[in-house]
Amino acid sequence: MSEPILKVEHIQAKYGDFIAVHDASLDVPDKSIVSLIGANGAGKSTLMDTIAGAHTPTAGKVFYKGEDITGVPAHELIKRGLALVPQGSRCFVRMSVEDNLRMGSYPKAARAKRADNFERVYNLFPVLKEKRKDASGSLSGGQRQMVAIGRAMMSNPDLVLFDEISLGLAPTIIKDIYATIRQLNAEGLSVVLVEQDIHRSVKTSTYTHVMLKGRVALSGLSKELTEAEIKNAYFGI
Amino acid sequence: MIQQIIYGILYGGVFALAAIGMSMMFGIVGLTNLAHGEFIILAAFLSSVLCTALGCSPFLTLIITVPVMFIVGFILQKVLINYVMGKGANAALLVTFGLSFILKDGMLQIFSADSRRMVVAFQSANIRISDSVVIPVLYLVVCLIGVAVIVILHLFMSKTYVGQSIRATSDDKVAAQLVGVNIKNVTAVAMGIALATAAVSGLTLGMPWPFYATSGSGYLLIAFGVVVLGGMGSMIGALVGGVIFGLAQVLGGSNWGVFISYIILLIFLAVRPQGLFKK
Amino acid sequence: MIKNNARSKTSTIITIVVLAIIVALIYVLAFTGVFSSNLMRILLNICLYASFAVMWNLMAGYAGLTSLGNQAFIGLAGYACAVMCTTYGFGIWVAMLVGGLVCAVLAVILAFALMRMRGMYFAVATWVAAEALKTAFQNWKFVKEGAGMTVKIKPYPTNAEIFALAFGCFIVCMVVVYLLLKSKTGLGLKAMRDDADAASSIGVNIFGSRLLCYVVCGFLTGVAGVIMYISKGSIFPGGGFAIDWTIKIVFIVIIGGIGTAAGPVLGAIIYTLLYEVLAQFAGFTNIVLGIVAIVVIVVLPKGIIGSLENRFKFEILSQRRKSLE
Repeated sequence: MSEPILKVEHIQAKYGDFIAVHDASLDVPDKSIVSLIGANGAGKSTLMDTIAGAHTPTAGKVFYKGEDITGVPAHELIKRGLALVPQGSRCFVRMSVEDNLRMGSYPKAARAKRADNFERVYNLFPVLKEKRKDASGSLSGGQRQMVAIGRAMMSNPDLVLFDEISLGLAPTIIKDIYATIRQLNAEGLSVVLVEQDIHRSVKTSTYTHVMLKGRVALSGLSKELTEAEIKNAYFGI
Repeated sequence: MIQQIIYGILYGGVFALAAIGMSMMFGIVGLTNLAHGEFIILAAFLSSVLCTALGCSPFLTLIITVPVMFIVGFILQKVLINYVMGKGANAALLVTFGLSFILKDGMLQIFSADSRRMVVAFQSANIRISDSVVIPVLYLVVCLIGVAVIVILHLFMSKTYVGQSIRATSDDKVAAQLVGVNIKNVTAVAMGIALATAAVSGLTLGMPWPFYATSGSGYLLIAFGVVVLGGMGSMIGALVGGVIFGLAQVLGGSNWGVFISYIILLIFLAVRPQGLFKK
Repeated sequence: MIKNNARSKTSTIITIVVLAIIVALIYVLAFTGVFSSNLMRILLNICLYASFAVMWNLMAGYAGLTSLGNQAFIGLAGYACAVMCTTYGFGIWVAMLVGGLVCAVLAVILAFALMRMRGMYFAVATWVAAEALKTAFQNWKFVKEGAGMTVKIKPYPTNAEIFALAFGCFIVCMVVVYLLLKSKTGLGLKAMRDDADAASSIGVNIFGSRLLCYVVCGFLTGVAGVIMYISKGSIFPGGGFAIDWTIKIVFIVIIGGIGTAAGPVLGAIIYTLLYEVLAQFAGFTNIVLGIVAIVVIVVLPKGIIGSLENRFKFEILSQRRKSLE
């Protein structure tokens, strides 16, 4: 088995005095889909922010493509192909869809492939092409999520962390977005799916990690974990 | 009358340029720079000193003043204002207020209270339209410079990665970081650009009119008025606001012109604080 | 609980008695000629600047209205004084009353025009209003245009009398602000400062409270302005409506501590003394003031009093109501 693209070892992360992540370890094998599930407040988003360099951990290490990237800021990591689609999409609401996507190609290496990537994103999400001149703040929640995913894809990433992309979206839209993610994975993208919902992400992923109160409570191959095991870890019974 | 309207419109381009840097900083970065007027005057003094020392045309001094003012803005924002902006809007407002009178009295000490003016070859040349109507070349040139700077700035902010990264950062800092923007320098670059426009503005104000070390607050209030009339961050708005102000000053005459433009501004603020061009 | 209340009542009484003795002592010293004329001038300035600063602080520190246009009140009051005394031959009491009332009226007008604005819009709009007044007075024949007016009163009050007025004005400012902030309005203002939306949703009348603060500020700044120009003896538009007044006031409140009761007073003392020291370096005063103010904002964002109160957990002249539990 090849070297995992991402290795997280005993990460601890705090907000002031509050410890959001106690001790989290997980591996993401190259070109796989890994899901990370857990209840609200389990520390999933903090862990993702920490991996992506938007938050600095107080202990532990993160390795990406074999390199120690602990404490490397987000704007450096995106150049190396590690992208985060943050919770709540966080589009640049006063900018047009096109400009949002264009900002996605901000890293120098990505600028060269901008035209190709625009085409790729517009093929994935044709609705964005129609609305490319509209301010992203005027879009629906699902469309904003598409902008955020497209923006991440514009940077030519090797690994994308999707933080609760299905939050607040209609089931049909979630289904489409998941299909898109599977398609991207088939094209060679490594994926981490963070969700509160148990079923969909476990079904989509090869590996599953369950977080509970700041710790990874359960890890394993998605198809080998039983529903009872996952539920126990999820709720801490 | 037609002659006066021509003057008013030409003033408009100059006033709009004076306002554009302040408008950009407020509309995009969220900082009110109360020292913007003093920076314009500082740039005017710089141009004037260089002009005399080098014996060159005032226009050539821009080669030096624009980069110098950019660096001043960059450093100022990076070491001081970014820090106080984290402490609430009021702190930053009052720091720039403090800067404004440090600069004003500093300039009084260095350059004295005497008036200065930069002179060019075509100072009083006119293009004749009819017997009673002429277009003064100097005013036409400074107005066109103002319009050109505003158009270039607009293109820069909407078409380049640097310009867009400034807008993106003001929309969402975290998201900007996630796409690869090093947000530590973005506001500093924005301030640098704002003061670079102040450098050009100093030149365009210092050629047609005499200026004093104490002229800054007057231009700040004009800039503020232009911005309020046009709407913060709006480029076309700034031009229209500039023309309204220019016309008010010309038609009101030398004594009451300023008063009339202030009153227009106050009425506008009371009735339509969001500006002409914002919904 | 009863014991606590009784104790706080006694301590309040003691505070009032001590303050009353100090006030009486200062008056006695002023009129018996113990103070040199130089000291009297310094004390006069402290009282007037403290009055201006206490009023600015009421707006910026409590009502959330950062004004850069309080020079409008000072200049207008100065002209009211000159017109009442010189043109119509009235005495100082009429001048003070008219000065205060004219400024209160201006405050009402400005409040209705400008108070929908927030933050920098309000700040610069007040400045524009003051500049508009300046240009108007520069071109108005009745007040002798740019040449200005002298203040003629017969007999002209002595330095001790002017100081007495200024000191009285300062005391009134302190008491009015104290009572205002302790009232229901003050409670609402504090709720509003913490969270404007929540305060308005529980029925705090934001506009009314702010209007009251603005009018009080206008009236008392006006009265202090009249006294200022009685002591100066003349006024011209460029000086009366100068932004320099606001520079001084802002400096005073910032270094003393914005939103604290004692901050403006301490700030006024520091400013006046600093000004005496800097008088020999004419021209550099504002530069030094600006640098000190910026350093204070960076290092002690709550000012001297605010930082001390934070560190030692006390509050001078607390307007906090005693809770009933």
